[in-house]
Amino acid sequence: MALKRRQQGILTGMPFMANLASRTFVDDLGRKLYLAKPPIRVVSLAPSMTEILYSLGLDEEIVGVTDYCDYPPQARAKPKVGYSNPNLESIVALRPDLVLAPSTFLRADVLAKLEQLKIPTFILEAKAIEEIPSHVQTIGRMMDRAPAGDRVATEMRRQIAAIRTKVGERPRLRVLYVLNSQPLITVGPGSFIHQMIELAGGVNVAGRALVPYPRLSLEEVLREDPEVLIFPVGGAESVPESEQQQWRRWTTLSAVKHQRFHQIAADLLNRPGPRIAQGLEALARIIHPEAFDQRSGP
Amino acid sequence: MGLMARQTQSEGGRAVVTEPVVAAGESAEPPRAAPVGSSRLSPLRWLLTLSALAAAAVLVLLICLQFGAERIGLAEEIRIVSLAVRDGQAGLDSTGATGVILMQVRLPRVLLAFMVGGCLAAVGVGLQALLRNPLADPYVLGISSGAALGAGLAILFGLTGTALAFSALPLCAMAGGLLSVLVVYRIATAYGYLPIHTLLLAGVILNAIFSALVMFVTSIMEPNRSFGMMSWLMGTLTAPDYPAMLVLAGYLLAGLLVLFRQAASLNLLTLGEESARALGVEVEAVKKTVFFTSALLTGAVVSVSGMIGFVGMVIPHAMRLLTGADHRLLLPASALMGGLYLMAADTIARTLLAPTEIPVGVVTALAGGPFFIYLLTSRKGRLA
Repeated sequence: MALKRRQQGILTGMPFMANLASRTFVDDLGRKLYLAKPPIRVVSLAPSMTEILYSLGLDEEIVGVTDYCDYPPQARAKPKVGYSNPNLESIVALRPDLVLAPSTFLRADVLAKLEQLKIPTFILEAKAIEEIPSHVQTIGRMMDRAPAGDRVATEMRRQIAAIRTKVGERPRLRVLYVLNSQPLITVGPGSFIHQMIELAGGVNVAGRALVPYPRLSLEEVLREDPEVLIFPVGGAESVPESEQQQWRRWTTLSAVKHQRFHQIAADLLNRPGPRIAQGLEALARIIHPEAFDQRSGP
Repeated sequence: MGLMARQTQSEGGRAVVTEPVVAAGESAEPPRAAPVGSSRLSPLRWLLTLSALAAAAVLVLLICLQFGAERIGLAEEIRIVSLAVRDGQAGLDSTGATGVILMQVRLPRVLLAFMVGGCLAAVGVGLQALLRNPLADPYVLGISSGAALGAGLAILFGLTGTALAFSALPLCAMAGGLLSVLVVYRIATAYGYLPIHTLLLAGVILNAIFSALVMFVTSIMEPNRSFGMMSWLMGTLTAPDYPAMLVLAGYLLAGLLVLFRQAASLNLLTLGEESARALGVEVEAVKKTVFFTSALLTGAVVSVSGMIGFVGMVIPHAMRLLTGADHRLLLPASALMGGLYLMAADTIARTLLAPTEIPVGVVTALAGGPFFIYLLTSRKGRLA
């Protein structure tokens, strides 16, 4: 993926069709959506989508966001429609001509209702970090902001590729990502953060778990002996300091022996939006600080 | 175990008097062949039964200690324990991760399972006798959900302090359990005494209210907190370190002893309140004691284990079939059996999908449910 500096524009999703600019879009559930003209009233049902919309230079067009949309700061001022259980009436009252929704939190009945009400709903689900720049481009084309979308996506791809090059050849460290200490809940295969850890040059100690957010047994942790402990902080997900200190009990752990306790801004990691490359870099700096020059990170 | 079952069949004294809830007040049942006061229970049988159960518990403990993320054989187990006992921390360090896993993760957890299961079962026995209702247990009566609400609020506001050797979470849980019992008590004593059915109904309604509040608190938590909370609500044993375990064990033991001392009075209470009063039982005092002790025990237990249903309801019934209905034997025997049951259930919860853990509350219900239905349908176990 190492991209040379070429002209931007070649990197659009479908370069040979760029001048045709089809107005039909296919979302991640394979649903086709035809938009005769760019939407002017958009409701976003995920913080990541709100960030994508703002990264394209939109603001007026965003008429509704979730309770957790706090970035960029002006998103806080937008009307709220709930989050995991969005309020259908407030969505309808905003008269959107497009609803952007993640697949994870959209309940089937809400989706069915939106379809019934003829409110165009576009569902995005990033299964891999590489898909996020494409999402930005898709939304850019939808909103008639294709050049901005391409620009943002290109920059993201460049950053991701740079990080991969930096940590690619280094020995991988065993990492435990602590979502919750008691009971211990972490990220497993199938979760977005698991993939980020692997990309940033780490090995997730919960790699053998069967579910995306497993309750991991402490015995397994001691057996796998993580070299780095990572605690999400800030925003909606935070592991308090006192809870982090509890981990010092386990003196046999490499991470405790070498004082490798790290905090990371949770929002950078679990929002599949334009800041994901920053999140990946933050993670890579934690796992492989030696790979980066000593400038302060993101 | 078969031996004990045979032993007790010859005893015959069985089937505690349990009336289904009827709308009427105190129906004075004719005294049945329920054990009374001091007869029928030879000290030898008491000792033999409890010794057999204690031996079984030790055996189950040794088996449970072998299973987990990694299998640790019996010989290895003994070697590590003897090293740890002989050389303390230094001896433990020499055994590497295996030693730490066994002595500092697995052993505390198995011991905690024993304590929690034992308390839930004993409290279940006490409440069932008190309310003369086979459905009574701390879970049904809203004591567990009151405690869960206390704990949930502690998690929500991120309370982390310590007082009286307990950290904020168990204290809040105990406060919640007590609050729930106080409210039930106040409702029920509106007439100056405690009508059983009012007590039961008040408990059930309160359980519904507290459960709803717990749901509400969970719904307004941050996503990953609510994740932990949900998981905890389904039952999760979180073993504290040994000093805290010791405090907890002392506390629970004291509570259990208070319950055990009420055994003779509970025997008489099963005859009906009027009869018990006539025989010199201070009925209101006994009710108060059993009720508040149950609340304090449940609060402490819930704070380290979340909501584990079923143990408090099923174990007392099973043990009644095994040991008869005399509470002097039934209470300690149920405590041992409850501990044994939860140790086994938690081991299954830890190992079935390893390295992922499943909530132990799921296991207790799935393992106990069918057995309970079998008890209900078998001729031997006419429970109610």
